[in-house]
Amino acid sequence: MRGQFRNRIRGILGLILCVAVLIIVRLYFVQIVDGDDYARKADRQFASGANGLYDRGSIFFTRKDGTRISAATLVTGFLVAINPQTIQDPESVYTAISAVASTTISKDDFLAAVAKKNQVYVEVAHKVPQEAGKALADKKMAGVQVLRERWRYYPGNTLAAQAIGIVSYGSGTELSGQTGLESVYDGVLSRTGQGLYKNFFAQLFSNIGDMVVDARDTREGDIVTTIEPEVETRLAEELARVHAQYKSKETGGIIMNPATGEIIAMASVPTYNANDLRSVEPAVLSNPHVERVYEFGSVVKALTMASGLDAGVITPETTYNDTGCITVNKFQVCNWDLKARGVIPMKQVIMQSLNVGASWISDRLGQDRFRTYFTKLFGEKTGIDQPAEGRALLANLSTTQQVNFNTASFGQGIAVTPVRMVRALGALANGGVMVQPHLVSAIRLKTGVEKKIDWNQTVPVFSATAVHDTAAMMTEMVDEKLDHGNAKIPTMSVAAKTGTAQLTDGHGGYYKNRYFHSFTGFFPSYAPRFIILLYTNDPQGVQYASETLNKTFLSLVHFLIDYYAIPPDRGTNVANT
Amino acid sequence: MYNVRALSYAPTTLALSFIAFLAVVYIGLLAVVMSYAASTVAFSQSVRNSEAAVASLEARYLSKVAEITNLDYHALGYEKPGDRNYVSGVRATALR
Repeated sequence: MRGQFRNRIRGILGLILCVAVLIIVRLYFVQIVDGDDYARKADRQFASGANGLYDRGSIFFTRKDGTRISAATLVTGFLVAINPQTIQDPESVYTAISAVASTTISKDDFLAAVAKKNQVYVEVAHKVPQEAGKALADKKMAGVQVLRERWRYYPGNTLAAQAIGIVSYGSGTELSGQTGLESVYDGVLSRTGQGLYKNFFAQLFSNIGDMVVDARDTREGDIVTTIEPEVETRLAEELARVHAQYKSKETGGIIMNPATGEIIAMASVPTYNANDLRSVEPAVLSNPHVERVYEFGSVVKALTMASGLDAGVITPETTYNDTGCITVNKFQVCNWDLKARGVIPMKQVIMQSLNVGASWISDRLGQDRFRTYFTKLFGEKTGIDQPAEGRALLANLSTTQQVNFNTASFGQGIAVTPVRMVRALGALANGGVMVQPHLVSAIRLKTGVEKKIDWNQTVPVFSATAVHDTAAMMTEMVDEKLDHGNAKIPTMSVAAKTGTAQLTDGHGGYYKNRYFHSFTGFFPSYAPRFIILLYTNDPQGVQYASETLNKTFLSLVHFLIDYYAIPPDRGTNVANT
Repeated sequence: MYNVRALSYAPTTLALSFIAFLAVVYIGLLAVVMSYAASTVAFSQSVRNSEAAVASLEARYLSKVAEITNLDYHALGYEKPGDRNYVSGVRATALR
């Protein structure tokens, strides 16, 4: 019995030893016999160049139906590196590499790299596509390494480039967001740690805390923007056409939901292709809507009108005597055509864009009230999620010279950023309340949880009655004056105002024949879905904004009505017109 | 009935057996860890490949949108209507 038991133990021991021997033999084959093959396979699968595989969160556009389209993502390919010590035929190696990789360094630089015999690793080509990289690797050229690489890719190329931003090394050794949303949300988009390459057992034995709760998962993720790609494309195309036609210095536009502050489209020209920064001027990388200030001109008259109505110093029926020109503090303030209109009602200030009328309203308001309204409208940052938001130039309103207030009433002598202007004008389209313009609606964390961002900081400025009356004047302007009344859409009320401001000459005065054109509008007039602000700086061979931006604005209005199927808000019983 | 007696193996034998058992377990654990790491890496890579494929499709979609937006309808033989009339629509019945 005892013998039997002993034999069984020996048998089990023998079995265990056999299994151990089998495993050791298998290990020998894997590690020694096939080791090189596995190393190469592993290399091609996940080994990277000197800096490791790049990882970063994505940025998404949001289509009108909620579908997300990447604005910034990652693509995988290869980089090519050489070992100068083992390269045998530099000429043929260069020919083979440059045939598959358009980003290969020049032949002179390549040969210079090959000559550096004290080095073992020199990168010579980046962003090599998958198939091309595999084909090059299969050639097994001595001294040539084909390694995995991942890089930032912008599927839209130039689409919303300045708003999305770029990543680069900056002054450090890590790739990080430098401009736009890439910069503002760098903490969310950056990846620390190994990401998907976690080894469960290694983590279990070394860092069990992270296995249970990883603090990075509550911070790192992707960002979802409010930009609609098809609207953005349309806006960009329209602006490019205006810019080319009038050879402007710069042209831009913003389309925003005035009730929520969501920016549906934000484009400017010149722009850049974020996938190819090799010959981009650094000045183009910044977002002009946020960083640059302009004197917007007569679009500000709508805000002056709303201020006067809100303060109760005028009503829509108030009249004044328009003499064509007035003299204030020894300066002449004149209408655009220098003509007098006689006694006219308030709405003509908007419909005919009369500087004298706007000045009259600012006089009625008084300096203190005018300053209060305009400081409320433009004095504070919008808080938009873009870096380096510029400040408004309102210093003229801190003086007591009346001419400064008169000129400010029609948008000259004060300068603001386009995003501040669209926020202020948005109050006319939102019951008198300014909202917070923003580009990102939510952060989608790595855990899958979607965190909505709260953008509910509002600033009430005007009464609902004041903005309603102002919108009525702007609507009548479109129906009767714009394009001689041909712009009217019988089934849709559209409110708009043009602006033509003289450009400053840098010496305290203005050019006589160089202008900044602006155009703003919202529709439907009394429950607006969208507000549009357009501008073009220094267009050549043309004087008035109605000549440059009229067609663009109307084209965008019709596009938005069709694209979003906005139902009519008037004239549903209309017969032939 | 079996007469159960106390084991009388030498302590050395028992120790060696236990060590052999631990060695096998250790090698087995190594094999499991390495297999898991390999499958994790392969899965990660396939996720990255899928992401890259999606990015390529998205780029094609956006370029198509740009192409359609930039279409020159005149060049294709289309003209804008010369006259535009707005008429009230015919009321449709609920039953179709």
